[in-house]
Amino acid sequence: MSDSSTAPATTAVLPAWAEAFAAANRADLARVAPFTAVDRAWAFGAGDGAGVTVAVIDSGIDAAHPAVDGSIVESVRTELDGEETIVVADDPIDPVGHGTACAGIIHGLAPAASLISVRVLGPDNRGKGLAFAAGLRWAIERGASIVNLSLSSRSEALYATFHDLADRAYFANCLLVCAANNVAIASYPSLFAAVVSVAAHDVRDPATWFYNPRPPVEFGAYGLDVDVAWRDGGRIVATGNSFAAPHITGLAARIRAAHPTATPFEVKTILAATANAPVEA
Amino acid sequence: MSEASGRSPGDARRDAPAGSEVELAAALRSLAVRIEAARRLTPPAGAAILRSIVETTATLFGAEAASIALYDPATDRLVFEVAAGEQGQGVVGVSIGPTDGVAGYVYSTGQAIALSDVAADARFGRSTAERTGYVPRSLIAVPLADDDGVIGVLEVLDKRGDGGFDLRDLELAGAFARQATVAIRSGRIERDAASLLRAVIGAAGSSNGETDALVEAAIDGLDADPDDPVWALADQIARLRAADPAQLDLVRELLAVLVRRADRGGRGGRGRGARGQPAGR
Repeated sequence: MSDSSTAPATTAVLPAWAEAFAAANRADLARVAPFTAVDRAWAFGAGDGAGVTVAVIDSGIDAAHPAVDGSIVESVRTELDGEETIVVADDPIDPVGHGTACAGIIHGLAPAASLISVRVLGPDNRGKGLAFAAGLRWAIERGASIVNLSLSSRSEALYATFHDLADRAYFANCLLVCAANNVAIASYPSLFAAVVSVAAHDVRDPATWFYNPRPPVEFGAYGLDVDVAWRDGGRIVATGNSFAAPHITGLAARIRAAHPTATPFEVKTILAATANAPVEA
Repeated sequence: MSEASGRSPGDARRDAPAGSEVELAAALRSLAVRIEAARRLTPPAGAAILRSIVETTATLFGAEAASIALYDPATDRLVFEVAAGEQGQGVVGVSIGPTDGVAGYVYSTGQAIALSDVAADARFGRSTAERTGYVPRSLIAVPLADDDGVIGVLEVLDKRGDGGFDLRDLELAGAFARQATVAIRSGRIERDAASLLRAVIGAAGSSNGETDALVEAAIDGLDADPDDPVWALADQIARLRAADPAQLDLVRELLAVLVRRADRGGRGGRGRGARGQPAGR
């Protein structure tokens, strides 16, 4: 057997997820199956996200921000109730701006999609991984078609919980789109096989995305110098994998609107098939 | 059996009602005393390491300023401990909620982000300037994280020259922050007996209420008497760190004489002399 069969899986996991999508490295993204029969015209059709519900698990969404323009249909937050983490109705607010940034990107790509805000950054710092897990579980059970996760948990104690939630989402026809984490430590669920894991590429274009045949981070999307909505109705220029993920979420919402019966696996495949050529012809 | 197990008379008195709870309390008290002694014997190690990290960071990224905020569990706040660069000094000592603002977002999600044109957003600029007297044009914020979790946030402010931070900067900062975290952890003695005991007892599966009561009892009055000869001795030994080797030798020899005297006095001059003496001079 080759070395790769005996080396621990973690040795292949490098933290610089965006590196694979950098101009100098894109020749390595050439893939075995080019999917030439699937093009963007077919993939998106007239899909504008209509009929698709997207949950954004983040710092909240400011529903009054012009960038999200009436797309918010529900806002909830997690809170500690004794030892339990519960999900309760919330005001449509975002004290940080990050969740509104993600929602604005998704709304810009799929303007007819319905957005749900799941605010998991509360004032109480205790049990933040549990709050995140509770919010994700709620979104899956609520029937979201797609969940955007620009954050992750690195709690080893919650590994099994998130693994179960990722599988549960997959089987419930719910696509999880996760931002990869740049810090060299395990983060869940972004490293699980059932999710779409995204890092930023270095092309300033929302219509450019790349497919990486080497998991765990299979997609590169626009995440460098993105003009995003921010708190208090403002805007800011932001860089990071957490701004790349909502671009893939927006594209996935369009695919699910155009092809309502497509499963998470098929949506992922269509995203791969319609990705930009890694190296310009 | 009774007092032969090496306990002090004080422990024996507290043993009057006997039982595992009393034994646990005594063990915790003994542990708390050792932690307090270790705390006094160890110089404030963190500061030098933190300073070195922010200065290296600023140099590495060609940045105007860099800062480190660490999470303080006692107050549930993120506290900016050190900064490099003239511009950055205003932030030192500022504390924010663990989910507030960009640093709070990065701390609580573990997700690295970079922002530019920060000053262009008047609202963002104003709230930052009010706290620190300095509004950066661009910034990178990455979690200080390792396998044991996130301990704070490293911020890099205002790259010199044209252009802001790019993806490579962000990923480098993430990788660097992990190394920094390892250094901070290894250089940081647990300064706080309460939080260490709480962690130990919590890991053993007690509920929060029980843990608090046990910790309170163990540290009660620990630091009440600043003139306690044991603490005074620990403080003096700590100060000796700055002495030159010749002085240290002298102190060690003087201490050896005093310890032998105390040893003889404490044991009433009986028994051990025959074996103990040859080891002396």
